[in-house]
Amino acid sequence: MSCHVVREHVGAGPAVLTLRSRPLRVALVGQPNVGKSVVFGRLTGRYVTVSNYPGTTVAITKGRALVGAEVCDIIDTPGVNALEGDVSEDERITRDVLTSDGADLIVQVADARNLRRALMLTAQIARFGKPMVLALNMVDEAWARGISIDAGDLSAVLGIPVVETVAIDGQGFSDLREALARAAVADTPAGRTSLDRAAWANDLTGRVRRQSALSLSRIPDLIARATRQPLTGLPILAVVLYALYLFVGVFGAQTLVKLLEDGVFGRGINPASIWLVDRFMPIPFAHDFLVGQYGLITMGLTYAIAIVLPVVTTFFLMFGFLEDSGYIPRLAIFCDRIFRVMGLNGKAVLPMVLGLGCDTMATMTTRILGTPKERLIAILLLALGIPCSAQLATILGILGGVSAAALATLFAVVLGQMFLVGWLAARVLKGDRSEFIMELPPIRWPRLGNLLTKTRLRVWWYLGEAVPLFLAGTVLLFVLDRLGALIWISRVAEPVVTGLLGLPAATAQILVMGFLRRDYGAAGLFQLAHTGQLTGVQAVVALTVMTLFVPCVANFLIMVRERGLRVGLAIVGVITPVALLTGAGLNYVLHALDVHF
Amino acid sequence: MSCTLLTFTSKAVPLSSLAVGEHALVSSVSDAPAGRADRLVSLGITPGAVVTMLQRFPGVVFFCDQTELAVERAVADAILVRPMEDVR
Repeated sequence: MSCHVVREHVGAGPAVLTLRSRPLRVALVGQPNVGKSVVFGRLTGRYVTVSNYPGTTVAITKGRALVGAEVCDIIDTPGVNALEGDVSEDERITRDVLTSDGADLIVQVADARNLRRALMLTAQIARFGKPMVLALNMVDEAWARGISIDAGDLSAVLGIPVVETVAIDGQGFSDLREALARAAVADTPAGRTSLDRAAWANDLTGRVRRQSALSLSRIPDLIARATRQPLTGLPILAVVLYALYLFVGVFGAQTLVKLLEDGVFGRGINPASIWLVDRFMPIPFAHDFLVGQYGLITMGLTYAIAIVLPVVTTFFLMFGFLEDSGYIPRLAIFCDRIFRVMGLNGKAVLPMVLGLGCDTMATMTTRILGTPKERLIAILLLALGIPCSAQLATILGILGGVSAAALATLFAVVLGQMFLVGWLAARVLKGDRSEFIMELPPIRWPRLGNLLTKTRLRVWWYLGEAVPLFLAGTVLLFVLDRLGALIWISRVAEPVVTGLLGLPAATAQILVMGFLRRDYGAAGLFQLAHTGQLTGVQAVVALTVMTLFVPCVANFLIMVRERGLRVGLAIVGVITPVALLTGAGLNYVLHALDVHF
Repeated sequence: MSCTLLTFTSKAVPLSSLAVGEHALVSSVSDAPAGRADRLVSLGITPGAVVTMLQRFPGVVFFCDQTELAVERAVADAILVRPMEDVR
C-alpha cells in the first residue's frame, strides 16, 4: 500500500507531518437533500445520481479526490436528520460509517437556509470526536430569501473551518479543499438531550444569522403551493400523467419504436444481417441462431434496442425532470390516507413512484421507510403491482392503440389488487407503521446538465444490464425451442394460459421471458399484439398478469439481499397465485359481461 | 412513556387548530409514541421555533424555518403551539 506524506493540524495545534498507510478518508455527512452528492461529484469528478428529494442516496459511494498534494477517499453517505435514538435504515448506514471508524475526517454539508437544524446535527457529529469542516451549501438560495450567515463568527465559536458553497456551480470549492487541512473537532456543548442541543443551536443561530425582512415570492414557490393543494394539485397531477403518456406512451412507445422497429431494424439491420449470414455462413443452425425466430439479432437485439430502448430513454428523461423539480414527494400529501389502509404512510409514495423507473432500485429506496413492516409491505407491493418503465410503456404502447377503457381497466385492476394485498398484509404482518412526518423539498427548475447526465447514465446502465440479459434470454429460448421444451412448456401451461386466462398458447413462453426481465416479456407481448395475434380483451388480461406476475430476476435478487431468502421466496409465493387468479377472474368477468375493447 | 418537553405558562393549542396563514411559537411536543418528539426536534420543531400553517387538508403542511413539513393529523395534534397574537 502506498504511503502519503501530509500536513495535518490537530485541533488548533501546530502543523505536523504524518505518514499514512492509506488515503485520508473524508465522509460527507448532512441532512437529507442538502447536496452531499453534488459536493461528492465536485470533489471526485464522479457522478452519483442527484435529485431534488430526500432519500436519493440510500447507500455509501466512495471516490478518490486530490486535495492539495494529498489523495483522499471521499465517502458519500445517505442523509441523516439524527445520529442518535430511533433512526431509519439509511440513517443507520451513515451512523455506522462514523462509529465503525470508517472515516478520519468529516465534512458536514448543510443547507444554509436551515442553519439551526444543521447545528443540532453538528453537535451530534462532534460527539464522535473526529475533526470536521462545515460547508454551508446553497448560500445562493439563502441569500435569495434574505438570509445571510456570518461564517467567520460561526467558525470562531465552533472552532472549525466554515465555508460557504454553491456546490452545483462549484462556488467555494477552493476554500473547501483548503479548509480540509484545518479540520478540527467542533467545540459544542456537552448537552445530552436533543433539547439541550436545540437550545444551543437556537442561541448560536440567533447570533450569526441575519434575516432581512425582504423575502421575494418566487415563481417556484407559487408552483410549490399549487402542487400540494387538492384544488390545484389534482388537476396538475392529471396534466403530469397525461404529459407522461404523450411523451413516453405515444412519442416513445409508438413514434420512435415504429421508426426503429419497422425502419432501422425491419428494413435495415435485420434484412442486412440475414443476407450476410446466409451469404457467408450458409448453415441452417447459424441462420436460426442469429437471425431466426429466436435469433440473437432478429429477436434479442431487436427487442432490446428497437422496442425497449426508446421507451426507457423517453421515460428516464421525463422522470428525471420530475425528480429534479421536487414534485414527487408532494404527492405524499394526497397518498397518505390511502397508504395508511395498507399499513404504510405517505412517505411510501417515493419508492412506489421510483418503482416506475426500476423496481430493483426502488426496493433499495424502501430503506427510507420507518419500520421493518412498512419496508416489507412496500417491497411486496413494488414486486406485485408497480410496472417498471419499459413495462409501463409497453402497456401504454399496446393498450393506447386499443382503447382508453382497456387502459383504465388494467390500471383499476392492478391498483385494486395492490390495495387488497396491502390491506391484507397490513393486518397479517406483525409490527407497526410509523407516523407520517415528511420534509418537502422546494420546487426548483431542473438543470439541463444534470438531467442529461442522469438520463445518459441510466440509459447506459440499461444497455449494460438489460441487453446481455435479453441476449441470454434469447439464447435460452433458442435452446429450449431446439430441445422441444418450448412446446412442452406451452402444453403444460395450456390449461392455465389458454383455459383459465383465455390467451394464445404462445403467451406461455412470454411469461417465462418475463421472469428473466419484466421488460423482455413485455416486449414479447408487444410483438404479439403488433402482429395482430391478441384481441383487446386478451391484451388486457395478458398485460394484467404480466404486471402482477413475478418480478424479474434482478428484483428477486435484490429482495433476497435486502430482506433474506425466506422473505423473497414468500413474496414470490404470494404473488404468483394472486397474478394468475386475478387474470383468470378478469378474463371470466370480461367474457361474462361480453366486453370488447 | 409520555413526557412533556417544555411548556410556556400561557395557554397552548394544538398545531392542528391553527388557521391557514397563522403564525405560532412551538411550546411543546408530546412524546407518545416514544421517539416522535426526537424526530420532530431533529426536523427543527423545537420549543421556541416559529411555525406558519400552510395547509390543513388533505394533510397538515406547515413551515418551520425554511422547511416545508407535511405531517398527519395525529402528529399535528401532538405539537402544542402558542399563536403569535398571544405572544405579543
